[in-house]
Amino acid sequence: MAAGEAIIEARGLTKTYRNGPAEVQALRHVDFTARRGEFIVVLGPSGSGKSTFLNILGGIDRATSGSVLFQGQDITTFNDQALTGYRRDHVGFVFQFYNLVPSLTALENVALVTEIAANPMTPEEALAIVGLSSRSAHFPAQLSGGEQQRVAIARAIAKRPGLLFCDEPTGALDSATGVLVLEALAEANRSTGATTLIITHNAAIQQIADRTLRFADGRIVEEVSNATRKRPDQVSW
Amino acid sequence: MVIPPLRRKALRDLRRLWGQALAIALVLAAGVATLILGDGAHRALSDTRDRYYADYRFADLSSDVVRAPLALVDDIRAIEGVVQAEPRIVKLARPEIEGMTEPASVLLVTVPQAGGLNRLHLREGRLAQSGTADEAVVSQDFATAHGFHQGSRLGVVMNGKRRDLTVTGIALSPEFIYALGPGEMMPDPRRFGVVWMTRPALERAFDLEGAFSNVVLRLAPGVPESRVIAALDRLTARYGGGGATGRSMQTSHAFLDAELRQLGAMVKVLPPIFLLVAAMLVHMTLSRLITLEREQIGLLKALGYRPVQIAQHYLEFVLMIALGGILAGFVAGAWLGAGLAQLYARFFSFPFLVFGADVRVYGLAALVTAVAAMAGALQSLRAVLSLPPALAMAPPAPADFRRGAGGMAGIFPMRQTRRMVLRHLLHWPFRTASSVFGMAMAVAILVASLWSFGSIDHMIRVTFRLAERQDVKMVFAAPEPLRALDNVRHMPGVMAAEPFRAIPAKLTHATRSKRLAIEGRPADARLSRSLSPDLRPMPMPGAGLVASEALAEALALRPGDLVQVEFLEGRRRVVDLPISGISLGYVGLGAAMEIGALGTASGEGPAISGANLLLDAAQEREFFAAAAAAPGTGFLNVTALTVSRFRATLAENITLMVSVYVTLAAIIAFGVVYNFSRIALSEQGRELASLRVLGFTRAEVSGVILLELAVVVLLAQPLGWLIGHGIGRAMVAAFSSDLYRVPFIMGREVYATASLIVIAAAILSAIAIRGRIDRLDLIAVLKTRE
Repeated sequence: MAAGEAIIEARGLTKTYRNGPAEVQALRHVDFTARRGEFIVVLGPSGSGKSTFLNILGGIDRATSGSVLFQGQDITTFNDQALTGYRRDHVGFVFQFYNLVPSLTALENVALVTEIAANPMTPEEALAIVGLSSRSAHFPAQLSGGEQQRVAIARAIAKRPGLLFCDEPTGALDSATGVLVLEALAEANRSTGATTLIITHNAAIQQIADRTLRFADGRIVEEVSNATRKRPDQVSW
Repeated sequence: MVIPPLRRKALRDLRRLWGQALAIALVLAAGVATLILGDGAHRALSDTRDRYYADYRFADLSSDVVRAPLALVDDIRAIEGVVQAEPRIVKLARPEIEGMTEPASVLLVTVPQAGGLNRLHLREGRLAQSGTADEAVVSQDFATAHGFHQGSRLGVVMNGKRRDLTVTGIALSPEFIYALGPGEMMPDPRRFGVVWMTRPALERAFDLEGAFSNVVLRLAPGVPESRVIAALDRLTARYGGGGATGRSMQTSHAFLDAELRQLGAMVKVLPPIFLLVAAMLVHMTLSRLITLEREQIGLLKALGYRPVQIAQHYLEFVLMIALGGILAGFVAGAWLGAGLAQLYARFFSFPFLVFGADVRVYGLAALVTAVAAMAGALQSLRAVLSLPPALAMAPPAPADFRRGAGGMAGIFPMRQTRRMVLRHLLHWPFRTASSVFGMAMAVAILVASLWSFGSIDHMIRVTFRLAERQDVKMVFAAPEPLRALDNVRHMPGVMAAEPFRAIPAKLTHATRSKRLAIEGRPADARLSRSLSPDLRPMPMPGAGLVASEALAEALALRPGDLVQVEFLEGRRRVVDLPISGISLGYVGLGAAMEIGALGTASGEGPAISGANLLLDAAQEREFFAAAAAAPGTGFLNVTALTVSRFRATLAENITLMVSVYVTLAAIIAFGVVYNFSRIALSEQGRELASLRVLGFTRAEVSGVILLELAVVVLLAQPLGWLIGHGIGRAMVAAFSSDLYRVPFIMGREVYATASLIVIAAAILSAIAIRGRIDRLDLIAVLKTRE
């Protein structure tokens, strides 16, 4: 698969939640394509549908209608087992609250994934990419928030995923620490070639992206491509 | 009525955590139920017995003589402390019942007079009346077994002569609550019954005009029994007195006593186990609930609720669970108690059963249960009290796995999911240990109840296949000369016959003494043998006694010791005999000698009390007929009938008890596993959902919790075996009496069965949890912080 080729495409993606008697339209006919290696920032207010969009693309939620093609295969037709396999082999996730396993050290948290992935890098390599080699024997309780998030990034990229999805990765962090996390994400994107989608409330982050999507009311209302990307250390908030 | 908000919250918590609450309530209920059942049954049995004894004037002492003049009764009444003395005629006889081929016997007893001792409770009809020689009252079980009613006819061979009796009444007697035939191990109402007849009728039948063969006494309260026995024995000695026996040696009373002791042991052992496990479950559940509700506790404190009020709220939650357990336990205990009482009514012949609910027992059960639940809650409540509001409202710091034994888990290479399991178990050692302990108790209860099957088999094998190998033991009505053996040998079907002699004696060693029959057998006896503790036959020594383990224990005898033997028959010689060996034996106290040596030692010379026989099965009927026709025959013990009755009776009782124990153990196992896994799931739900997002399959994720459970369940097995083994040993000690000793046989199959049952309960519980793991909400878990 050559660089620039579409890796994932959404066509007419719709998601409707039932919330008691009310119906909530989280996504309304979203069309979207991401190319291999692209670094995309997704902006939008709370409830605009961006997390739902990411969750469906990542295979942890199901669309009401529409299709998601990953390397030509429609994952909306996958059963639970196939979706698990899709996440296992192709998708890396990073969440706002890190979701590390507290009983495992940094290295062991990464190894959790490398043990089950088809073509992983070593846990040490993954930790080196996020700059945490020296902290590999530490438990989550011994790491700062930023360090925990970098371990989560190392864990997400260790399987060499085609897709890296990050939901508010800097949401719980201060600016300086957030920059370190963004640097780790940028490095991960560069060194693994994983197409990276980052959800954020923080508009400043769009400057480091190839492309920015803006969600409102379940739709992509704006799409902006950056001619030049800034380095993470050049942005601040 | 306005429900205060905190109470409303407690009620909602209860509804939300209903599974865990139910599991705890069930364990508590089991504790309450066993307490009420055990104590209720114990009370029912002992109250019924006491009232029966009092209302029907059960005698305190009884003494058999060969033949004593009625005038002796005045001397007996003159003994200090004797309130009442009644001469009776008590004789064994042989009933002739149409269609019944196997041997049977009846005990003939003088019908008690109005105002007399051992009065009868008439179930039907009336008492036999003087002047009518053929009237008889028959014991109820025997009557039921043969369909006798008032007016039925019953032929009985008395003193060699058949008499046809008319049944005038069906009755129960406090003397025969547990009616055991001579030489039998279990009551068999078909083959043994009691027949009460008037004194003149019995006098004539046994040539005992103006004489008696048994006297029963009632003593004034507080009079030392031993002093009266000594005085009575002095009076009866010259009339062939075999020595008086108090209630403790009376068969029916002694068996009831043994049952009461077993119930007493159950009340002491079972309820504490359940309450301990329940307290532990309360502790686990409440501390998790409080961890989850930290922020709410902080908020409540910030809103101005006093810490005591909040602690009270959680205590209320626990007490609601306890209340559920107590009420369920009341119902189950009363229901099972009524069932057990019915079983008693079948097994023991009572005219009534006092099974009143004792409010105090219910109160006590409720109290200890509530206390156990509160004890379990104590530590968590302290945490509620001490939590500063500001700290409480911040999320708790992530669990720190650096410290403790968990660090070791990093040394060995293993899959990370297994490492998670190991660290999790080691991080909460108290919880892990108490869960292991809880499961172990479930295993222990089973081990301690299942071993009895193997023990009974062993008891039967040793007693009836190795020691007593005769098909029939024929006991003469009175000792016969040696040549009587030839007559027996010539009876149809007899393939081998060995003589035996049994002489009642009182054995004294230092300050202890016991009464029993010393059995004399040929030196190389093959049909009835003493066995050494390693189950090898012991040859009868030329001189000296072989004492059974029970006797040796009771009199503190060791081989080489001299024991004083006072023969209670004939010349009543008193001699010192050496103990030449200790033999194994599970039924009664036993002492054996070489038959010639016994004749010499007792001064009675060569005589035999009966013969042990091997029979040709094809000629059994003919043999029974010939034995019945022979004038010297007292009674016959048929080994096959004894064994089958023994098995059938025990099978019924033990099966019932074992099913109760299995249910109780399953409740514990389910309760512990369910709570343990729910808490593990609550703590690790977030991690498990993360694993699902990372691409772990449902099976792999369930595997994490299930592996944790499996480790707990497996660790519990050897511990449970050990504890069960200990309880079993204690039970053996508690159940052993002069009547019988229970061999402690704990086979591998006992451990295996106990483990299988508990593991099955654990698996069921795990299946219930598996559904919850499968339904983990991946998105909700990841979007929130704990």
